[in-house]
Amino acid sequence: MFSGLSSRFLPLVRASPVRRLHVSASLRAEEPVGNATSKLSKDQLKKREVRRFAQKKAAARRPASEHPLYMPVDKALRFLRAAEVGQPQSQQTLSVTTIVISERGAPLLSGNVSFPNALKELKIAVFTNDEQQAQIAREKFNCHVVGGSELVEKIKQGQVPLDFDKSFATPEIATLLASQLGRILGPRGLLPAAKKGTVSENLESLIKDSMGTLPFRQRGNNISIAVGRCSFTDKQLLENIVAAQKSVKEALANQKAKKPSLLGQTTLTSTRGPGIVIDFA
Amino acid sequence: MSRVARQLKFLNKISSSTLEPQVVLNSQKYAGLNLTFQYQNHNGHMGARKFWHEYMPTLQFYNPGLQFQVTRVKNEDKNNAGVPCVLQTIGKDGSVLETLDMRDKQHSEIMQEFLEKADYEKVPESDIVRV
Repeated sequence: MFSGLSSRFLPLVRASPVRRLHVSASLRAEEPVGNATSKLSKDQLKKREVRRFAQKKAAARRPASEHPLYMPVDKALRFLRAAEVGQPQSQQTLSVTTIVISERGAPLLSGNVSFPNALKELKIAVFTNDEQQAQIAREKFNCHVVGGSELVEKIKQGQVPLDFDKSFATPEIATLLASQLGRILGPRGLLPAAKKGTVSENLESLIKDSMGTLPFRQRGNNISIAVGRCSFTDKQLLENIVAAQKSVKEALANQKAKKPSLLGQTTLTSTRGPGIVIDFA
Repeated sequence: MSRVARQLKFLNKISSSTLEPQVVLNSQKYAGLNLTFQYQNHNGHMGARKFWHEYMPTLQFYNPGLQFQVTRVKNEDKNNAGVPCVLQTIGKDGSVLETLDMRDKQHSEIMQEFLEKADYEKVPESDIVRV
């Protein structure tokens, strides 16, 4: 009976290639659908999300000292310095990472931190076609890279290394920057934009304000700020951590969200060392 | 093993579970140690590297005032046995007090030989940090 069916069916399929194509395509499309759908309904998924968010918030409200990996900063530094022993100085960077708990759709936290003990010299890039402004940037502030349209072209071709930490521009070049270098500078947070306050007619006052500050921003669910090196003294490092804490709090206060975000667990870690929970909030 | 338990084990390895280097070196006499060896293991440099990885963190933990420096040399050529593999004890005035050859030795042997010559005190049981 089976052979009879296939013999009756086959000529039909062979006769019309369009139909055969359709049959195989629809089969393939159906297969993954059956496997990928979750067993939970939409309602249940939503409930689960709400529950998890509440759990995260409750965890953030608990004091850091309850965590089994909690240590006072000086003791933590002793462990981190021990873990980094013998490594090259330049690779012994200590950083503070904070988990941010925010509602979905809340704007990402970002801000500037000014350290009393600087990690490294800040490198600034200035984009302008105005010769006068460029002169000021070069002479008064000793900026790392200064230039106009020709610099934009060079960066686009990869001739100028992107080793600066901050960039500023004048309004006449800002649109050119956004269209030409948006793809290159944007992901690194280096693109000057009026919204960020890095585009202005008067670059002098702008650079003066941001001299000695380092930008930071939220990536995913956390903020990570490099605060020092193992060779710093405990006092220097503590001062830097306090400065970082202050600016994160400030960014949190300025955030334009419906409900304020929370800071969760904060860890102090080094390049190769363990992450140790510290008091930050 | 959970994430936290693994981390605690790592911390305890530095502070309490590695027994041999739980010593306080005489800080009146020493300024630190300098180690020089290869990146690669050949020609008997493995013990030196293990000494650095296994014992130096604990040594630094109980001697926070001392400077420990590690210089590693890249040497891909196995026939070139000229790279030194030494542990130097540095005195207060920056001079080299003692030199210990670490070539062809296990890390525990190096520790033993170092402690035989060095001026140190064992860390008292009450000062050992347990996390």
